[in-house]
Amino acid sequence: MVAAGLKPVADMAPTAIAIDGVTKRFGGLTALENVTADIRDREFVSILGPSGCGKSTLLRILAGLVGCEEGGIDIFGGRVNGPRDDVGVVFQTANLLPWLNIEANLRLGLEIRRGKAVARATEIAPMVETLGLKGFEQHFPHQLSGGMRHRVAIGQTLLCDPRVLLMDEPFGALDALTRDRLNMELLRIWQRDAKTVVLITHSIAEAVLLSDRVLVMSERPGRVIRDVTIDLPRPRDPSKTRESAAFGEYVVELSRLMGVG
Amino acid sequence: MTGPIRQAAEALLFCIALIILWEGGVRLFEVKPYLLPSLSAIAAETWRAKEQLWHHSLVTLGEVALGFAFATVLGVALAALIFFVPLAKRTLYPFVVALQSIPKIGLAPIIVVWCGYGLASKVTMAFLFAFFPIVITTLGGLASTPAHLEEHFRALGAKPWASFWRLRVPSALPSFVDGAKVAMPLAVIGAIVGEFVGSNDGLGNLILIATGSSQTALSFSALLVVTGLSLVLFYLIEALGRLVWWRQG
Ligand SMILES: Nc1ncnc2c1ncn2[C@@H]1O[C@H](COP(=O)(O)OP(=O)(O)OP(=O)(O)O)[C@@H](O)[C@H]1O
Ligand SMILES: [Mg+2]
Repeated sequence: MVAAGLKPVADMAPTAIAIDGVTKRFGGLTALENVTADIRDREFVSILGPSGCGKSTLLRILAGLVGCEEGGIDIFGGRVNGPRDDVGVVFQTANLLPWLNIEANLRLGLEIRRGKAVARATEIAPMVETLGLKGFEQHFPHQLSGGMRHRVAIGQTLLCDPRVLLMDEPFGALDALTRDRLNMELLRIWQRDAKTVVLITHSIAEAVLLSDRVLVMSERPGRVIRDVTIDLPRPRDPSKTRESAAFGEYVVELSRLMGVG
Repeated sequence: MTGPIRQAAEALLFCIALIILWEGGVRLFEVKPYLLPSLSAIAAETWRAKEQLWHHSLVTLGEVALGFAFATVLGVALAALIFFVPLAKRTLYPFVVALQSIPKIGLAPIIVVWCGYGLASKVTMAFLFAFFPIVITTLGGLASTPAHLEEHFRALGAKPWASFWRLRVPSALPSFVDGAKVAMPLAVIGAIVGEFVGSNDGLGNLILIATGSSQTALSFSALLVVTGLSLVLFYLIEALGRLVWWRQG
């Protein structure tokens, strides 16, 4: 177990997401095969896997956007058969509306989920600050860089304050510094607001730095081939955590599993 | 000289050359005025007949405006119906495509028989010419909504109505504006064709009467005014279209 004062690894927590034997086919192509995993409440889980192994597809199934041929998903005990209000998704592409400025795009999720009144009453300045978008509120998406657009998309979902946060390579388009900063912000928000996070990433180091657990997927058809618990102390810090020997061991182990070490 | 100024100057010079050629040619070869009047004669005639031209312009403008308005409202409605109702897509859409292939000029005499010599037949003609481009481009616009944005709206649990107004409509607008730009000059053509076939006034009627009574200069004046009207209306749409500045990409 972990030292007092640190967030306990959610060993005892109830299951938030139960992935039960999910198989997904696109015609003759099997994208996911018998994927099974349990994600506990308030757990931070990353998914690593080679490109095309079905990570985004799995995320879509978790989000209730597409169905699957076999198996199913339970979130907080209820079978997923469509999008849920307590689940927020950050997609691999920054889904902004080109005709809305950044402020309106940030409020869009709230507006659709909770109505205009709530959206208007919500303070977005802290989020704008966190995302490093200050001064760009009145700009339009096409006036922003790819990484900035991604940050807006992340902000839109975070403002909805979903209990379960599904993120598909949200930090891929960012430079190392911004990435570190947003990683830490994500950890802060996750701990403060007691969220369950599923993060898809291509970065082994990012997965180790952030997660309680890393699920490693195989080449297509995607299966969970390893479930690695990251037993590093929290709160984590980019520079300090990375320097620790244990961090390096996890990275080496995962690299080997991914066939890149 | 900078680029755009130079370009404008070149275009202007070319225009002046054409004017000199026309005016000089007509005078030099003493072309009969009922065949081809000189530009100065056309200008003088336009000034002389300005009240008559104004009257007929208003008539034609009214026909075009009404025809275009109906085409826009019904065209958008039909496009939405075809897009959202599968049965309409299977039944109405092929029908619309087939109808579009009818040469609408050929319909003009029948329309006049049905709607009479008054405003209605011309509005109908303007409508027929403007209708199809609006249906087709609006349909294209509705279909061009990026799939990833649709998925995003679904993930947010957006109600169909919200998806429609907040996503579909703005996505379709750029394409619709393109359609309106094509449709507006077509509506003018439709109204003129309607006036040719049967009418008591309007610029098309004036062209017909003037040409028939060898007042060729007046006929040219009317043609000039039609062209001007068409251009003004086109740029009006173009200016309104600027409000829809976003493009998918
Ligand atoms: N809508 C679809 N129709 C047909 N095939 C699909 C569809 N979506 C995904 N696939 C296929 O499923 C497989 C998994 O795709 P997915 O997008 O989930 O991969 P991924 O792991 O997210 O890859 P990446 O890391 O490159 O984002 C791919 O082979 C892809 O071609
Ligand atoms: Mg993906």
